[in-house]
Order: sequence, then structure tokens, then C-alpha cells
Amino acid sequence: MAMLLAAATAWCAALDPYVSLTSQAMIYVLAIVIVAYRLEWQQSAVGAVVAVTALNFFFVPPRWTFEVESREHLIALTVMLLVALVTSHLAASLRRETRHAALSERRARQLQSLATELASATASIDIASLGQAALNAAFAGPNALSVCDDQGKLVFARNPTDTDVLIDSTASRESVQHGLQSCLKEMAVLGPGTGRWPGLDAWFFPLLDQGKALGAACVRPANASDLDGRDHATALCALLAQATRRMHLDKTVQAATLEAQRQHIQSTFLAAVSHDLRTPLAAIVGAASSLQTQADKLSPADQHRLLNSIASEAVYLSNLTENTLQLVRLSASGSLQTALQTDWESPEEIVGSVLARVRQRDPARRIKSKVALGLPLIKADAVMLAQLISNLLDNALAYSDAEIDLSVQSLNQGQLQQLEIAVKDRGPGISSAQQDLIFEPYQRGDQAGSAGPNGSRGSGLGLALCRAIAQAHGGSLVLRRRGGGGSSFVATLPLGEAPALAPPLQALAQELP
Amino acid sequence: MSLKVLVVEDDREIRALLQSSLAVEGYDVQTAVSLSEATALLRHTPPDIVLLDLGLPDGDGVQLVRELRKTHSTPVLVVSARHQEAQKIQLLDAGADDYLSKPFSVSELLARMRVALRHRGTSPAAAVTEHSLDDLRVDLTTRKVQRGGVDLHLTPTEFNLLARLVRSAGRVVTHRQLLADVWGPEFTAHTQYLRLYMGQLRAKIENDPAEPRHLLTETGVGYRLADS
Repeated sequence: MAMLLAAATAWCAALDPYVSLTSQAMIYVLAIVIVAYRLEWQQSAVGAVVAVTALNFFFVPPRWTFEVESREHLIALTVMLLVALVTSHLAASLRRETRHAALSERRARQLQSLATELASATASIDIASLGQAALNAAFAGPNALSVCDDQGKLVFARNPTDTDVLIDSTASRESVQHGLQSCLKEMAVLGPGTGRWPGLDAWFFPLLDQGKALGAACVRPANASDLDGRDHATALCALLAQATRRMHLDKTVQAATLEAQRQHIQSTFLAAVSHDLRTPLAAIVGAASSLQTQADKLSPADQHRLLNSIASEAVYLSNLTENTLQLVRLSASGSLQTALQTDWESPEEIVGSVLARVRQRDPARRIKSKVALGLPLIKADAVMLAQLISNLLDNALAYSDAEIDLSVQSLNQGQLQQLEIAVKDRGPGISSAQQDLIFEPYQRGDQAGSAGPNGSRGSGLGLALCRAIAQAHGGSLVLRRRGGGGSSFVATLPLGEAPALAPPLQALAQELP
Repeated sequence: MSLKVLVVEDDREIRALLQSSLAVEGYDVQTAVSLSEATALLRHTPPDIVLLDLGLPDGDGVQLVRELRKTHSTPVLVVSARHQEAQKIQLLDAGADDYLSKPFSVSELLARMRVALRHRGTSPAAAVTEHSLDDLRVDLTTRKVQRGGVDLHLTPTEFNLLARLVRSAGRVVTHRQLLADVWGPEFTAHTQYLRLYMGQLRAKIENDPAEPRHLLTETGVGYRLADS
């Protein structure tokens, strides 16, 4: 200011021979306006007084005195002083308005971008870090933000490098934590200008949603007169509270959906238990009790029939238990692959072992197997794969009276070599409406009724397990309708590249034809 | 004198069932509900055959089988639920003779017991050198294999594999045992070779390799040469 006035004085002195006092006064007015625009109101008022005094001292006759000769000059100086004071006041308030508008705009923009960021946040930890960043951007700090856990208790970062990074000493961290807890307890803003705890050096904002505590924030610096700042902090906290609430709601909805699914599974399981387990159990108990109490009245043929029924129902229960356990095993392990114990297995061997078992239930040898020669080895869980084939054959035996074709071959699907296992029957077939349903646990084709034409049942879980096994091996199981009636279940499994022979065994391998 | 059977089983119903059905067949049945009780009985009155249940309350039985094998060649039949392959194999490799999966029929059990007792080796010289079933004939001393009276040409490895199974005819032989005995102990992990050679062997001696009569697969455990 002093330099500007000195420059104005020098300029006036330089122009003194050529211009009138009026022009010199204008130069001073220019200096005053510049000062008023750059400095605070008090300083520019002082500048105005100094400028008028300088004009009086240097240029108004009599020069080099503070006296004023003519009345005209006195009026001019007085008016100039008033104009200078008014100008500086206007300029100062204009500048304040501009700064305020810029700040408001920045804050509005921050609220908007925070809202956008929060909308895509997926965890409460995201909300906490976004909120902390927003507070730090808007206020000099040190600021703090804590969110509540599920019990409504504030969680404080144990690690001081985290959100409390700016709060250096333990004592001040404790006082901040105390403030956060207190504002949540009172459910009101604490700090300067709020009427509550005005002696504090910070504002404490609770994050509330319909009277439920979600978190709390501490903002610094806090100034009783900084209403806009407090409003902005309140707005930020409201956004954070809203986002936290949305997160809670999402979690609740998710939990409710899971619970509903669980209950659905449980009720279908109970329905299945009531049917699939009770029926064979009733048959066993009935037959056994009949033998117990009426053995002497029954013909040997009847006794034999009852014993057979006990044995076959028990085998059915055993298979059902096996399928249930396997399905639970496959679905319980998060990743399907981990439930498998894979090795390089021969499809021919697996089919052979399955047939050896299934033939006991196929005395008429209705199953015709066709296994391609020279099939490659497959990386698979042999027990699971055997169960897949066994279930498909059992179902076919239960639901059809005619021949059943089992074929195993390898297919080339472009680069991909696949193993195809197909079981084809001439049963009643399955309507397209039920084609997907039969792969659900505890469902069965209703057209076939609860019992097949032989009075035997398929395994309720069998197809669900077959599909799960095929999928666990990276393959699929589909049902196709057969031309001429019946169903065709086709499992397709990828064939990996079999391991190369290890060097010491290559000599032995030369024996291979 | 009747043969003594030791039944180690913790389930009361199954123990009672085994006891009565084995007694009917003329066996002298002893029962134990735990491994510790079984161990005590084994020391006191050595049985002729042991039926050992998997999943006893006081251990997995591997220790018992190892202990027993140090001094006796008493056959051990493991009785297990399905899908306990790993434990079954462990016991078989430790020296158990065979296994049965629950649920099993009494006739199945008796057949397995007969096979195990036949292999008991009452005298060391009674080692198996011949095998014949249906149209298949194997003579280990002359290294001759015939199907329907026609000589079959087996490679040395194929013959060794078949010979190993003949020596345990009727009993399961684990993948590990076959690999160790035919290829050598360092090859016990190479099951894919075993599968290749078994495939070739089946192609030569079976009428329908996809539904074998002789070389039976015990899924996940090993192979068994049918003997009846």
C-alpha cells in the first residue's frame, strides 16, 4: 500500500508542471481503488486517509503543509476521502462475495462427487475412507470419521496411520474418541456455535438415520461464526449416513434372500425326506413286522417276497443316502474341483466296474453297452464318475422296460477332445416342461409317477447329483428326447492331455503294440 | 476244530448280526468294540481271521494291522463305508488282505472270508502257481497263458502284472502294491501306466473288455482277479 501511494505521489510530482490538481487527485483515487480491491477493508480505509493527506500535503496549495488554502479545495478533499472510503468498502465486500461464491461452488461440487462415489461403494470400509477423504479435502483438519459396527458401537482404527493419521498424540486421540462417542450419545452436533460444548476446538457430528447411530465425525477447524462450514460438514455427514444406511439395507435384503432360499431348500428337503425316505421305510417296517408276527401263517413264497422287499428297499435307501452325501459334499465345498480326488482314469474300467454292480439289478441283461476301443485316459474322480453312470443306468432300469443303450465314445469338438457317455432308454419320456425340473434335487418326472413300470423307484437325487458331478468335471449333462420315444441322457466331459511317459518307463512302453 | 473269527465293530446291531450269521456257518466268533480291546484279544487268543471296521472310536486300525503283521499272517478283512477309499487303501497297504463296503450281504462276506482264509498260507510252500477260471488258464511256472485253449502272447510287463494278480487271486490288490511289485517302488505314483497295461491285458484275455469277467476294477482302490 505504501509503495502504491508513493508511486502515485511520484507520478503526480512528475506530471505536476503539466496537469492540474484535479488530474492528480484522480491518480490518487486510482491508487485507492487498487488498494481497496487488494486489501482488507480496514487497511484500505487507512490507505484512503493517507492518500487524501498526501494529496493535501504535497500538491494542495499551500504546498508542504497540512493546511488548506481555499474552501473549494477543502470540499474537494473531503468528498475525495468519502468516495475513497465508500469505494474501498464496496470493493472489499465484492471480493468477499466472490470468494464466498467460489467456496460454495467448490463445496456443492464436492457434495455431488461424494454422492456419486458413495453410490458405487460396496463396503462400509469404502464409505469410511471416502468420507475421511472428503472431510480432509473440505477442512484443514485434523479430522476423524468412525462408523458403527453391527452392535452400534463406534469402531476406531487401532492403527494410527489409518484414519487418525493427523491426530498425533494419544491424549488428543482419546479426546476425539470421547467427543465422537458423546455426540452419538446426545444425538446432536457438538462444538462452537452449536450451543452444546461451545468450548471445544472441533465440531462433532453424529451420523444418524431415523434415530439409529451409524457413525460420527470430527471436523476442524471449528469457528462459531462459520455457519456455512458447519452446514457443509452437516451435509457431508448426512450423505455418509445415507450411504451407510443403504449399505445396512442392502445387507439386510441379502440376508433375507439367503434365508428365504435356505428355507426353500429346507422345505423341499423335508418334503423329499417325507416321501423318499418314509416310503421305503414303511415298506421295510411293514414287511419285517409281518414276518415277526405272522411268519407261521405265511406261505414260504410270501415270506420270500417280504424278505426280498426288505432287501431291495434297504438297497434303495442306501443308494439315496449315498447320493445325498455326495451331493452335499459337492455343494458344500466352495469350489467344485476341490471336492474331487482326480487321477488319470480309464473310462473302460469305470464302465466295467459300474456294470458289474448294476447287472445285479439287471438279470435280463437289458443294458447293452458299447464302449469304443482305445479310449484315452480321463482326469477324473473315478468314484464320482462311476456314480454318475450308475445313477443314469438305475434310472433307466426303473423307468423303462425295454433295452437300454449305454455308449461311451470320444468326440472331437474342434480343438477340444471330449468323452461322451450316453444312456438311452425307451421309457415314457419326459415332457419339455419337466426337462429342467428333473435335474433339481428332490424332483422326479411326474409322468412316470412315483414308481416306474417295474414298481421300482429311481433315485430322487440321482439326476441332480449326476449333473453336479458332470459340472464338477468341467462338463455337462443334458437330456434329449429320443426319436421313437424315450429319453437320452448325455454327459459330456472334457478330455485333457494325458501325461507324457516318464523317461524310465519309455523302455517299458515300447512293449505297447 | 472251528475257525476263530475276531469281529472288531463298535455298532451293536451289526456286531450282533455278524456274530449270529458267522456262528451259523460254524465259526467261533469273538467280538471287540474298540481297537484296544481287539489288541488285548489278539495277544491272548490269536484268531484265524479278523474283521476290522473302519472308524472305530479309538483309532483307524492302521497301527493294529501293522502290529499284527509283525508276528502273524492272520488275514484281515476291512469293513468300511463307501467313499473311505483313502483309509481303505492305507489299511490294505499296511497289510490288510481285503475289504468290504457297507452295506454288504452276508453271502458276500462269507465269500471274501473264504478267499482270505485260502490265502492264509498255512505253509510257505503253498504259494499259488496256477490259476484257472472259465476259459482262462495261467501257469506261472511255465509262464503260459491260455484263453479257450489258445496260447496268448503277453509282453513281460503284462505277464508280470497278471502274475502279481494271480498270486492274490480273489483279493483286491491296490494300485500302489501293483506298481511297486511290477515296476518298482519308485513308480507307485504312476497309476496311468497301470491303466494302460491293464487295458492291454483286458483286451487280450477278456471276451468283452468293457464288461470284464476276470480283471475286475475296484474303483478308486485297485484291481481284483476274479476267482469264482
